[in-house]
Amino acid sequence: MDAITEFIGSSIFWQILLFLHFMMAVTLLAAVTLQTAAILMPMPQPAGNLAGGFIERIRSAPSQWYVFAIVVLYLPTFLLGAWVYVKYRTYVRIPMEQIAHWKTVGSFEFKEHIVSMGVALLPAYWYFWRQPLVPEHATMRKWVTLFLAVSVWYAFLVGHTANDFRGVGS
Amino acid sequence: MTQTLDASQRVADLGTSQSTSQAIKAAASTEAATTDKLAIFTITFGIAFAILYTQFERLNWPFFTYHPAVGKIDFWMQAQRSGEGPPMYWYGWLALSFPGAAILGWIATLLSPRALQRTTIFTCTLAVLWSVIYAVGIYMDERTSFDTDLVKTIGWVSGIPALAGAGALSYFVPIQWVERLWTRWVLIMPIWGLIILGYSLKSYFMR
Repeated sequence: MDAITEFIGSSIFWQILLFLHFMMAVTLLAAVTLQTAAILMPMPQPAGNLAGGFIERIRSAPSQWYVFAIVVLYLPTFLLGAWVYVKYRTYVRIPMEQIAHWKTVGSFEFKEHIVSMGVALLPAYWYFWRQPLVPEHATMRKWVTLFLAVSVWYAFLVGHTANDFRGVGS
Repeated sequence: MTQTLDASQRVADLGTSQSTSQAIKAAASTEAATTDKLAIFTITFGIAFAILYTQFERLNWPFFTYHPAVGKIDFWMQAQRSGEGPPMYWYGWLALSFPGAAILGWIATLLSPRALQRTTIFTCTLAVLWSVIYAVGIYMDERTSFDTDLVKTIGWVSGIPALAGAGALSYFVPIQWVERLWTRWVLIMPIWGLIILGYSLKSYFMR
């Protein structure tokens, strides 16, 4: 890592990591939002036979399509976020405290808790969505997916706020 | 007439047998979930992580403390030292919670379905009751005219009524309820943990 930071500079290195974290978070956000939409507003007709618009296609897409993407994206996004968190603690949070942005600091503290709970729910989420789907787990499937969606949205918005304070392009 | 009655009887029998088969199917599904080791591990892991993480964060028991400014790691909890920048505990809480939850998930696969469900309801209600009783104690202590800090100093005592309550609940709650609740704890406990952790951050929002 030292060789990379010497070559491109420490600041650029962390900005690249933060940007990667952001890109993965956006993709995860899309996947989890689409799955939540498909669960909350299901369409009876499968996507392949539907001549409707984009929204109808999203609603009719089988929700299990998203499961693999969400599990595969959530974990590395979490790990990359945990890595970037080191820089946040020293480079971002200290100035935030100095100018008394306490609400942003508190919101970011809660982010670390909600994403931890989310990542620990991934095995159960994967189990509930395992094929063939068990009808008795339908309620849990819906609520666990909703929990993950809330965690990802919360983390994205708070992370974006922290980035605006001191991050890529700020 | 006799034939009509026979037909009605057969339809009634069919309805009864359908509802019976649905009940058997539902029971079999619950039974399958509690005997399927993968289900037991994943669900117990989620429940255990939520309880352990909340507990370790609240007690501030990290496995290690990371000092990012100097790149130094200390075992267990170390307060900020002069010239070493802010300490980070989050990695340390995770480093205890993930393996702890995995070990508990593995132990759960060794239990019988009944023991697993009873243990889960006991542990979860204990975690909920203990935190509620402790919070009520703190609330009352803060509103007394004496600055005793009694509840904070004897916080473990609030575990006694919680233990009794959890024991009673896990013993008296019908097994059908225990079975039905089992998978739901995986969602209830993270939400409960987040309520506690969120409330602990209130000082950031009230300055």
